[in-house]
Amino acid sequence: MARNWLEYRTSAWVQWCPGCGNYGILTAAFKAFAELDLDPVKTVVVSGIGCSSRIPYYINVTGVHTIHGRPIPVATGIKLANPDLTVIVMSGDGDLLGIGAAHFVALGRRNVDLTVIMHDNAVYGLTKGQAGPTLPAWVQTKALRAPNIQDALNPLLLAIASGYTFVARAYAYHTDKLKEIIKAAIKHRGAAFVDVLQPCPTYNNVMTQQWYEQRIYYIEEEESDYDAVVTSPDERKEKMLRAIGKALEWGDRIPLGIIYQDKAKEPFDERIERITPGYRENPPATRPVDYEGKPLIDPFKVFTDRVIKT
Amino acid sequence: MVDLAIIIGGPQGGGIESAGQIGVRALAMKGYDIYGVREYHSNIIGAHSYFNIRVRDAPARSARLPVDAVVALDAESVFTHMDDVREGGVFVYDTSTLKTKIDRIAPMPQPLKERVKAKLASMGLGDTVSDAIKYLEGRSVKLIGINLKAAIKEVAEKSGRPVVSVARAANVVGLSAALAYLGVEEDYVKAAIEAYFAGRPKIIEPNKIAASIAYQYVAESVGLGKLPDGPFKGRVRMIATGNDVVAMGKVVGGLTVQTYYPITPAADEALYMEGHRVVDVRDEFKEKIGLEKLGVVVVQTEDEISAINMAIGAALAGARAATTTSGPGFSLMNEAISMAYIMEAPVVITVWQRAGPSTGMATRTGQQDLLHALFAGHGDAVKIVLASGDHEEAFYDAIKALNWAEEFQIPVIHLLDKTLAASVKSFDEFDLDSVKIERGKLLYKHENGEYLRYKLTEDGISPRVPVGFAKQLVSSLEHTEYGVAIEDPEVRNAMVEKRLKKLKAIEAGIPEEERVKVYGSPSASVTIISWGSAKGPILDALEKLEADGISARYIHIKTFMPFPVKTIEEAFRGGGKIIVVDYNMLAQTSLAIRMFTGLRAPHIIQKFSGRALMEQEIVRAVKEIVESNVERVVVSDGA
Repeated sequence: MARNWLEYRTSAWVQWCPGCGNYGILTAAFKAFAELDLDPVKTVVVSGIGCSSRIPYYINVTGVHTIHGRPIPVATGIKLANPDLTVIVMSGDGDLLGIGAAHFVALGRRNVDLTVIMHDNAVYGLTKGQAGPTLPAWVQTKALRAPNIQDALNPLLLAIASGYTFVARAYAYHTDKLKEIIKAAIKHRGAAFVDVLQPCPTYNNVMTQQWYEQRIYYIEEEESDYDAVVTSPDERKEKMLRAIGKALEWGDRIPLGIIYQDKAKEPFDERIERITPGYRENPPATRPVDYEGKPLIDPFKVFTDRVIKT
Repeated sequence: MVDLAIIIGGPQGGGIESAGQIGVRALAMKGYDIYGVREYHSNIIGAHSYFNIRVRDAPARSARLPVDAVVALDAESVFTHMDDVREGGVFVYDTSTLKTKIDRIAPMPQPLKERVKAKLASMGLGDTVSDAIKYLEGRSVKLIGINLKAAIKEVAEKSGRPVVSVARAANVVGLSAALAYLGVEEDYVKAAIEAYFAGRPKIIEPNKIAASIAYQYVAESVGLGKLPDGPFKGRVRMIATGNDVVAMGKVVGGLTVQTYYPITPAADEALYMEGHRVVDVRDEFKEKIGLEKLGVVVVQTEDEISAINMAIGAALAGARAATTTSGPGFSLMNEAISMAYIMEAPVVITVWQRAGPSTGMATRTGQQDLLHALFAGHGDAVKIVLASGDHEEAFYDAIKALNWAEEFQIPVIHLLDKTLAASVKSFDEFDLDSVKIERGKLLYKHENGEYLRYKLTEDGISPRVPVGFAKQLVSSLEHTEYGVAIEDPEVRNAMVEKRLKKLKAIEAGIPEEERVKVYGSPSASVTIISWGSAKGPILDALEKLEADGISARYIHIKTFMPFPVKTIEEAFRGGGKIIVVDYNMLAQTSLAIRMFTGLRAPHIIQKFSGRALMEQEIVRAVKEIVESNVERVVVSDGA
């Protein structure tokens, strides 16, 4: 049973600039959550620092607002402790791919069952417009004192290389399409990444709404035979190569949609279960640690490799 | 009275670790209390490494010099430890190295070579192992020369295995020769070999042959010694490192998630835990909780920033969570510690201090991170800072740290050091009845309206429902009772006051006896103040000082936040001489005392060589201060 998406709104004043792409992402998230009937108690939105990272205050589910660059490890810890929760990271390109890039990579390697929704506007909005990690070189947005001399990184390529098993790109103002991609990402079992292209009307006067809308297209609308869903490991190389080709398209044409999905890789919780049997049934968040305050473990019975009889 | 000290030295990778572990097991089986500290280079193979083992019929709790026996498995060990054995002690060496010149020993540090050569030259001696042996003869040291190459050939022949696969048994030959001379029966060594290499018969057999060869050689040359069985005989005991014991404490204390990034000397704690990630429930509770086994999740992260943030995430979701690290990793964790504080997340950070600054001497010891721990985290971030002095304390403190983190919903920093990490100790069963697992105001459900994570309460501590069990907001920004970011001055003030009340709750909840322990009489003329692994050598030094007519006592600080103001102030008012033992350059303990009490310690004993503090250094330095009233004595014993 779907909920009414308005139930996911909070009464907080949304403090983004007029026309900000974040509004589109927020609306798409409300609708995706509603259509997936996500329980506000068991759904956790984790953010870092930046304009977009204020989103936990605007969505009526459980929210965790962390520090700059670290939402992924915090979210991983939450999911690790309680694999029954739906955990969604929502943060900016500077947070996830600038200061937090090491964690972005590590999440892919672990294939933790998390969804990362990246608000990608190529600038650091909250500190007033510095170049973000996805801003192409030699572009000079209006707050920059000199053209950007650092190359943009390719988030999709990095996600594929890191091991994400769901990689998609969407556009913030196309809320219905975005909603569908967010739903697919949340439903995916494993590390899911959605790169949401998002105009920043205040600081990114180069990659504007018009700029994007002249370039973007949906893969599903133009290439009906595009299939990058891996269902068994022997398909992986071929489909990944196709996805990499798609990820490299950037310029006059920018592809949107689900670029890669690997359903044949074990998520992190199953890997832990394999080396720590019982983990899923009695996860760290809820397994007993004591009986009426008494410890459940006797070290002399458990750590027998250190016991000697004199 | 039995009080022996033994050094076993050799090249890293040459079985020093196993020789030490076999040695301490044999001696513990013989009924003695043992303590052994391992000194080693940041190196995989070749650099000099040694174990300094203390054997007593009373509690053994520190290393000392000179020792009664040295086992030098290579030429470098002969030169390095030729002054470490007492007159009349025994020195076991490899006769196949007699012609080795000191300058041919590549791994040996040049300054040490120069010092040794100068020493030998001053006695009219040259620079070969055979000169060092002559020097030892001149010091009336009993010499046991064994041709280790020949012994290994014999092991290979008798075990039917190739020489290269049994070469490491040279360590057991050397060790066994010393133990034979000291009077430990061969059976104990063989039992220790079986215990240490349990389940690996291909290793056990040649090592037992190696022990027999050494025992036979000693019996036929210098003769076997005689040593009565010790008073700890007949007990079930443990022999474990500080790393092991902290892992045990955490698991017993109900830890369910531990994160770490590899770093010396913390990684071994996590690795030991990882080897015990599914543990048996005590029989009496199996039915009660409906589980036979429990899991512990240990995750190696991409860096220490991730390690602390992941532990915080797990804690928010209700796990008893900790991370373990050392100075450099702890530096990386600082920002998240501040986050944990404002989020009121219960997380434990175990910090195994090592010798800095920077990478410094990664495998050496020190207590240089006290101020770092006290000041960790920007913006008025408060932590509980707890320090352990020995293996037993480390076990109970690991549990206590988890308790306090949850009771006060605050980060707890558990300070230890490399000496504890890498030293082995024998001990009896823990008193599990004294262990209580506390989780504070933790609830797994919320009824009646909106759950307020940061509800203002009398004691500043809010009821805590984990993420996933009540809809809530957890924020690193200043927030309302619900958790919504806000900058309103009145709400800000109320939240600061809330956290301040919590500090008062901590002050009230951690009594003086948890903060400090005093050893010795208040009427003592000398009061030594210190903390951490300085405890063992100081307690041993008190006995020696007493015997030499100096009455001294020891104030052992257990928590720096909250600080034992009362005890320290009383000590300063009490008259006697106050001496702080400070394992660092800045005199950080003295500075902390001054910060919390305004009192200035008049004397300090410092050590910053990176080597474990030893009994004789404290005795010597205290005497110097008592006799000449000097302000500062720097000690630096140990190779």
